[in-house]
Amino acid sequence: MKKSKELHHYLTGFALAAVLTIIPFTLVATVGGARSYIVLVLCAILQVIVHLRFFLHLSFRGQQKEDLQLVLFTGFILFLMIGGTIWVLGDLYTRM
Amino acid sequence: MSAPTGQSLHPGLNLGEEHGDDHLEAETSVFGFWVFMMSDLVTFGMFFAVFATTMPLACCPGPKELFDFGSIAWQTAFLLLSSVTSGMAVLTMKQEHGGRGACTKKLVFWLLLTVLLGCGFLYREISDFISMAAAGGPPTRSGYLSALWSLVGLHGLHVTGGIIWCLVIVVGVLVRGVDRRWKLALLRWALFWHFLDVVWIFIFSFVFLGGLL
Repeated sequence: MKKSKELHHYLTGFALAAVLTIIPFTLVATVGGARSYIVLVLCAILQVIVHLRFFLHLSFRGQQKEDLQLVLFTGFILFLMIGGTIWVLGDLYTRM
Repeated sequence: MSAPTGQSLHPGLNLGEEHGDDHLEAETSVFGFWVFMMSDLVTFGMFFAVFATTMPLACCPGPKELFDFGSIAWQTAFLLLSSVTSGMAVLTMKQEHGGRGACTKKLVFWLLLTVLLGCGFLYREISDFISMAAAGGPPTRSGYLSALWSLVGLHGLHVTGGIIWCLVIVVGVLVRGVDRRWKLALLRWALFWHFLDVVWIFIFSFVFLGGLL
């Protein structure tokens, strides 16, 4: 029972990820345009969450604290570095 | 500092109690691997940041001339499927190798299937690189193209590394059997392989599909 549940977990993740992949690909192939970009970003974020949850089994229930801190700190560093780079260079670009 | 068994000891698929000490042993090495993966993620993040600050110039062919939509779809499918088959491999190990003398055939089958799908991905990616260079978009042409080649190429290198690592595990498992050393290697390799698929989500969404929009 527990074994089939674990298998089911992976297959659910696969189904969700497949849908979240097919949506942006179809959009780009058929509709296009700036509006689709929002859907693209949304699908990407959702799919990352699906992967983390169903494939990487990232859940913070019953986890030791360092795991959560590691992932959150990495997220923070990425935000600073990517956000900062885009901010500074975007600012320079508008001044040129 | 070991948590009570039954509870998950580290993020990722846990071996579980039936693996005895191997399960407890996994805590340190898998957590250590998460530290590596997160720093690798920062590296990818910087390549993304550089890519985000460049744009296709009028002088050279842009995304619409260079990207092959069908090929990107194939690569995405290969990588997603291989992520699932790698999950099947690690699940087989967890469920069937708790005791001694379990059959390793099924495990090796899933691992080799993952390698095959990974090679399919690499084949399409390399053909794309070749046709991009032929269509007037080599990395030396513009800043945008340099950033594109290095970001996608870095991911491709990781996939190559993942394939080699998987083959080493297949050999190790066949020669030595599924002992603690290879169990821990498999746990970490599976995390690495899933991680590469997560990075690919960003690449196909923002670099390829975003470029084609």
